[in-house]
Amino acid sequence: MAEERRGSWFGFGFCGFGQALGSGRGRQVHSPEPLQTPGEDADVCRVSASWSYTAFVTRGGRLELSGSAGCAAGGCRDAWASEALLVVLRAGPGRGAGTELQAWAPGSALSGEPLWAHTVGPEAEGEDAPGGEPQAGALPLLPGARAYVSPRPPFYSPLAPELRARRLELGAEHALLLDEAGQVFSWGQGRHGQLGHGTLEAELEPRPLEALQGVPMAEVAAGGWHSVCVSETGDIYIWGWNESGQLALPSRSLAEVGKTAAGEASGPKEDGSDVRTAEGESGGLAPFIAIQPFPALLDLPPGTDAVKASCGSRHTAVVTRTGELYTWGWGKYGQLGHEDTSSLDRPRRVEYFVDKRLQDMYTSKQHGGHRPNPRW
Amino acid sequence: MAGAGTLREALRALLPPTKEELTLQLGETVERSVVRLLREAVELFCGGRGDECLQASEAILDYSWEKLNTGPWRDVHRDWRRVYAFGCLLKAVCLCEETGDAGAVAAALRVCDMGLLMGAAILGDILTKVAAVLQAHLPSGKRPAPGPAQEQPHEKKARHDHVRIPDVRSERTVPRLRCPSLQHFRKHFLVPGRPVILEGVADQWPCMKKWSLEYIQDVAGCRTVPVEVGSRYTDEEWSQTLMTVNEFISKYIRDEPRDVGYLAQHQLFDQIPELKRDISIPDYCCLGDGDEEEITINAWFGPQGTVSPLHQDPQQNFLAQVTGRKYIRLYSPQESEALYPHDTHLLHNTSQVDVENPDLEKFPKFAEAPFLSCILCPGEILFIPVKYWHYVRALDLSFSVSFWWS
Repeated sequence: MAEERRGSWFGFGFCGFGQALGSGRGRQVHSPEPLQTPGEDADVCRVSASWSYTAFVTRGGRLELSGSAGCAAGGCRDAWASEALLVVLRAGPGRGAGTELQAWAPGSALSGEPLWAHTVGPEAEGEDAPGGEPQAGALPLLPGARAYVSPRPPFYSPLAPELRARRLELGAEHALLLDEAGQVFSWGQGRHGQLGHGTLEAELEPRPLEALQGVPMAEVAAGGWHSVCVSETGDIYIWGWNESGQLALPSRSLAEVGKTAAGEASGPKEDGSDVRTAEGESGGLAPFIAIQPFPALLDLPPGTDAVKASCGSRHTAVVTRTGELYTWGWGKYGQLGHEDTSSLDRPRRVEYFVDKRLQDMYTSKQHGGHRPNPRW
Repeated sequence: MAGAGTLREALRALLPPTKEELTLQLGETVERSVVRLLREAVELFCGGRGDECLQASEAILDYSWEKLNTGPWRDVHRDWRRVYAFGCLLKAVCLCEETGDAGAVAAALRVCDMGLLMGAAILGDILTKVAAVLQAHLPSGKRPAPGPAQEQPHEKKARHDHVRIPDVRSERTVPRLRCPSLQHFRKHFLVPGRPVILEGVADQWPCMKKWSLEYIQDVAGCRTVPVEVGSRYTDEEWSQTLMTVNEFISKYIRDEPRDVGYLAQHQLFDQIPELKRDISIPDYCCLGDGDEEEITINAWFGPQGTVSPLHQDPQQNFLAQVTGRKYIRLYSPQESEALYPHDTHLLHNTSQVDVENPDLEKFPKFAEAPFLSCILCPGEILFIPVKYWHYVRALDLSFSVSFWWS
């Protein structure tokens, strides 16, 4: 009998507000622990983690918040959590009534009136997944991809229709968009190189990344000040701020603590992490990189193909085709899942999931939430 | 040396006595979750749970740090800088609550300095006072034990490539005046926007006699300051970093420096009020529209050879020279076109031309642009009118103080 088992959720990182990581004890979780998801068999299809609270949406349309904000509500198709605003996509009453986008203060427990609401017309709903399940997980991009939401005014931002956005991600001060053809666009502040156009200048409107033209991308992800995308062939391109090694490039701050890969011996290690030689042509050590203003191709161990990337504010996580999880960058709150609080400037496999297969993941500030789907 | 007990008392004496007073009034910008965490941290602190307070303070610092790094600095909401300063305050006090050992005190002082550098004033400028107390409690005085025969730094000049002293006699020089009246200065220089060197105004300031390397190390040695590393800020390898004044002096002034390090454009006198007593605000600043509190006073301290590329500032500037000499070239704002400013937003106030080694093929108009120049010496003040282009190179170990006013 080929019945697909539903997967379980695991989480690690900062949980100073008891936002349902692990056992809820302690402010940090350094190694993956099963997530306390609401209900016994509640099938969580979407997790959106903010700094102080987490939002869970089940296939049945139930929304639950835990952490600094706590409540439950029904009729939700998707949720997007940020400290200032909780954005929810709720099914309108009755068929054909469309969907309503609502923004709430996280502490409001979804009672009373939302801060603002916007009806997403039925014609904009786009294709649902086979079986009639709603397309969850597209926020902050709205169904129909004509606009997106942001936690700061203007809350509702239209997108030029010719953009044909498939996916949109927001960083602290920039935005990334992936279109139907696999082209990546970026706009916003550029002072940390996060736009990838080779300068530190800001861009007011979505601008395509010329360096990536011709390489169709399958996924994009935005960290606080860095950007990642995954090609259809499983390669990772990364750019932006490297202050904690989140680009997997030699980082000065890690070197000062003795943790950079620069200067280490070359060759892959047993745990599957990739060790960079960091030796220049003359045999000298490669320079530290604080800012990478245009995309760099990242080396994972040979034979590994990435399928999904996700970023916290200052760290990066990648799931491979074979269900492995690699993380790197800022690790102070255990958000890398390596059972310690070190930051890393090179990819390292999360050992906990070695005998499991990861299917999906979401990350947030000082947080890592990951969902494996064990198969045997 | 005073033990942990007296340090603890001294710090507690500075803090507000009640939980309610150890609170920041914050507006809507700071999210409720952060306000809650701040309240929790104060509870932990008042409850004597130092380790947990330290954890909460770290979370406050890490979260607010992200806000400080989001968007242009001038757009960062003051409340986030106050939250950051508050996190620094709690962390610094918790760090030396348990032990008063030198390591803990030095670490706490560094945290205070971070709060002063990146935060905003809270609770009656408490961080400045806490820093002063910590500084006083650092063992063996404030500077490292003197080595055998402290060499005067200028003795090391013999080992450097000899410095190129420009022959300013062949260039049009900046006029000099001795103690002009306010009206004369306003009429002939401020209003028409003309540079002038003022003599007899700063030459009696205490700093002129007091400021030596030893004195600076004594008063400020253990304090953390921002340092620019690299020949000039337009270079690719240029970077900014933080270190103590002692480290700066050892690495970039005394011990045969490999790179150029410059303690530049830093409001040192807000950080260390004791130094402020050694300088004065030139009377001529009262001719401006702003209040005295709005005057920005910066320290510029570095070895021979530091360069500030040709650039312009949006305010009037009095540049007072305390130690060493600086070669300065000035171009009128009317010559801007011949100075080829960068077209990026980041560097639009900076010329692309290397003044003392111009690429005249790339920048042909520069050769004909008229300019004034001078060698500014200790005791002298140069008036740089608003938007006047200026290029500065230190001919010796140099300390200057600039006053930006409007």
